[in-house]
Amino acid sequence: MKLGLYPKIAADGIRKNGRLYMPYIFTSILMIAVFYIMHLLGFSEMLQNFEGASTARDILKLGTRIMAVFGTIFLFYTQSALIKGRLKEFGLYSVLGMNRKNLGRVIFYEMLMTWAISMTGGLLAGIGLSKLAELGFAKIIGAGVDYSFFISGDSLLCTFIVYSVIFFLIFLNAVRQVRFTRTINLVHADKAGEKPPKANWVIGILGLVILLTGYTIAIKIDSPLSALFWFFIAVILIIVGTYLVLIAGSVLLCRILQKNKKYYYKTNHFVSVSSMAFRMKRNGAGLASICILLTMILVMISSTSALYFNREETLRNRYPNQLNVTTTKNGYVENYKEVVSKIESDVAKMAEENGTATDNVISYCNYSLSGYYGDNKVDIDLDPYSTLSTTLDYDRVVQVYFFSLEDYNRLCGENESLSKGEILLAIDGKLKVGDELAVGNESYKIAKKINFRNSNLRLAIASNVVSTFFVITEDLNGTVYPFKDHADFSGNSILTWNYNYDFDTDLDVDGQVALSKILTGYMQNEFLDQDFYRSLCFCREVERDDFVHTFGGLFFLGILLSIIFLLSCVLIIYYKQISEGFEDQSRFAIMQKVGMTKENIKKSINSQMLTVFIIPIVFACLHLATVLPIVHKLLLLFGHNNIPLLVICAGICVLACGIFYAVTYKLTSNAYYKIVS
Amino acid sequence: MSLLEVTGLKKIYKGRRGGASVEALKNVNFTVEKGEFVAIMGESGSGKTTLLNVLAALDKATSGTVILDGMNLSTIKESAMAKFRRDNLGYVFQDFNLLDTFTLEDNIYLPLVLAGKKHAEMKARLDKLAPSLGIADLLKKYPYEVSGGQKQRAAVARALITDPRIILADEPTGALDSKSSDELLDLFSRVNQMGQTILMVTHSTKAASHASRVMFIKDGIIFHQIYKGSSTDTQMYQKISDTLNLLAQGGDLK
Repeated sequence: MKLGLYPKIAADGIRKNGRLYMPYIFTSILMIAVFYIMHLLGFSEMLQNFEGASTARDILKLGTRIMAVFGTIFLFYTQSALIKGRLKEFGLYSVLGMNRKNLGRVIFYEMLMTWAISMTGGLLAGIGLSKLAELGFAKIIGAGVDYSFFISGDSLLCTFIVYSVIFFLIFLNAVRQVRFTRTINLVHADKAGEKPPKANWVIGILGLVILLTGYTIAIKIDSPLSALFWFFIAVILIIVGTYLVLIAGSVLLCRILQKNKKYYYKTNHFVSVSSMAFRMKRNGAGLASICILLTMILVMISSTSALYFNREETLRNRYPNQLNVTTTKNGYVENYKEVVSKIESDVAKMAEENGTATDNVISYCNYSLSGYYGDNKVDIDLDPYSTLSTTLDYDRVVQVYFFSLEDYNRLCGENESLSKGEILLAIDGKLKVGDELAVGNESYKIAKKINFRNSNLRLAIASNVVSTFFVITEDLNGTVYPFKDHADFSGNSILTWNYNYDFDTDLDVDGQVALSKILTGYMQNEFLDQDFYRSLCFCREVERDDFVHTFGGLFFLGILLSIIFLLSCVLIIYYKQISEGFEDQSRFAIMQKVGMTKENIKKSINSQMLTVFIIPIVFACLHLATVLPIVHKLLLLFGHNNIPLLVICAGICVLACGIFYAVTYKLTSNAYYKIVS
Repeated sequence: MSLLEVTGLKKIYKGRRGGASVEALKNVNFTVEKGEFVAIMGESGSGKTTLLNVLAALDKATSGTVILDGMNLSTIKESAMAKFRRDNLGYVFQDFNLLDTFTLEDNIYLPLVLAGKKHAEMKARLDKLAPSLGIADLLKKYPYEVSGGQKQRAAVARALITDPRIILADEPTGALDSKSSDELLDLFSRVNQMGQTILMVTHSTKAASHASRVMFIKDGIIFHQIYKGSSTDTQMYQKISDTLNLLAQGGDLK
């Protein structure tokens, strides 16, 4: 054989199987382009305007790795689908006298060509789109825009190496596939007889039960801390349930429909129901995977977009005023009133020196301790590591804040009074308390339960991660005095004293930043020793950048990964349908001979296709709806508490996915129709 | 009037881009009376499959007319063709053409379901038909679970269940062993005795000997035909092989 023969056969193979190869090459190109872009934005030192945005860039670095792993898995999967579709052709070659080595050579040239096309196209597309992506990234994270054009040699090289390795692995896999198949099987690869699927009641019902259990857990979760653990349980149950339901449950459903003679023996249902039973047996797992992938996309993009679009509100919840002077001391502070008044007067003085008054001042201090709640008592002697790790009962962890009545009346504009031994109690969380509350060995009579949600008191908690008690008492130091010698497992006092002084200024952004630096310097000089372990001044304008970079980075990564995942999902479905189209060719030919009209064929294809397309997205939406409450609780950890926005973001994501889906559905069903008729 | 009248039938396959065209049917004329069992014999390439495809309305003739029970096939619109086939023709194929995703029962129901019939009616028809075809116990089985002969009997049931005006059979014994072939041919004879018109294309002398009339097709024209009359299957077999011998030697029978 001449040397030129193999490349020629390979090129022919790609050209003749264009319907299979085109989407494959297209996806490879896109993956390579996205990998290049992520690498460029994440790693390249050339992009000066992102220097400050290290968090966002770290997130993209992570994304680059995800892309490498996902690219490998996905390209492996589609390539083996491609090879399967061509086993017959290879079988013919081997009947004509090619040995496995020759076949390997054909495959090698095919891979070489797809690799060359994908790599060239991918790198060119990556370079072409990189500026666009860079501008988008800059816009999202609020960095400066720079109109010079960069091509990063490092990123090109890295992309080239990573995807060349992936392609090489895929090549080895393809050779393995062909080598370990016997010639006769190559020829008859797609003719293997198939048993009709059996309805498996046990697995079907088990799947449904597991799925519903997962749903119930997901809906029932209360606290984000326990959510983390139960979240994983729920996710695993939902994934397993999805697989079982789609594999066994759907066959079961088809069988039940077949039993219903009136429904089954209708022109529209007859063909689709019976072939669906076969289809689901083979594709149940594939559809379940697509469904899980879709759910991931929806959760990822709706949560990151909700975080991103809510960044200002999150920021303002965390930093209600322009500047926040804060100090924290471990243990009992005998002279806290002196400390407070010193900070108050000094800060006011320094603000004045910098040409501004202090407006909207919110000044308060509190003691906090944490314990384990049960039966109207907060137990403060339990070792949390030994207790909690075995019970995982995070729902009973409680944070207790002690405020003075004076601060409370001032902050909330109330005029309450308390006698000795009496407290006001505010509860955040689902814990129930009777008329009395005991903390350690001290017990208090609850004079009144108050709601703090709409008052300035809510600012005292950064996020409602665990349940919280607010205990308001007449004599603050007197109340916490009994706990002063309690030590936690690491030997520190369980009491922590916090002081916050929030205020606005008349200064512009630069002025605020300058003042915050001065105040930080002052606080650290005066109030930073081993007991005062955190004394500084936060400036909202400085923190804003950090918020925007983190949330923007996540959002940008979410968008890129979603695009890739979504495209992959759709491509998997496309391949499934195309390969089924070839299998169904003869079936539809028979039905036409028996008297099926073209219109019947179209209808039956549409109903089949619609089911195959719609099942994953319907399940994905169901999954999304049930995990959304947990997602909300996890977002609380970021300080995000905007349920309507989250729901709107989820809705828009579902809609966008749906539209994208509908378009591919149309394209795929047209391709399918062309094959079978 | 005859059930089926074929006059001046011609079919030319055009070569692509001015390539040589092939005349598969030159000038075919014949009639089939109601209740007849006609076999058409010919070698590979003689045009018999083309003829059957045109009769089954799967293919359009270049010229000439086919009239089935007063209906002219060439005037039926493309869109109504499938319905016409469903209502008037029963087709039995060499390779059975059963759908592997259906049980035998559902395979037999297929044309009726496509016609939108009620399940009760379908069941009544099948209950009447199944015992005489010997498939009553096999209805719940899938095609891969039964033998070739059983598959072909199910295919016959599928052809018969619509009560067609004519059954077209394309090499129905082609994929069967000799025992199954005999059973199937006996079945055809019985069905024919019940009044069903059958037109069968075959190159098996054995199969053709069951027919009441055998037509020979060669190079696209009906070359010769013989009637069974009162002769037995064996005598008919002899007559047919004599004719085939003559044909093979290129002898002129006319």
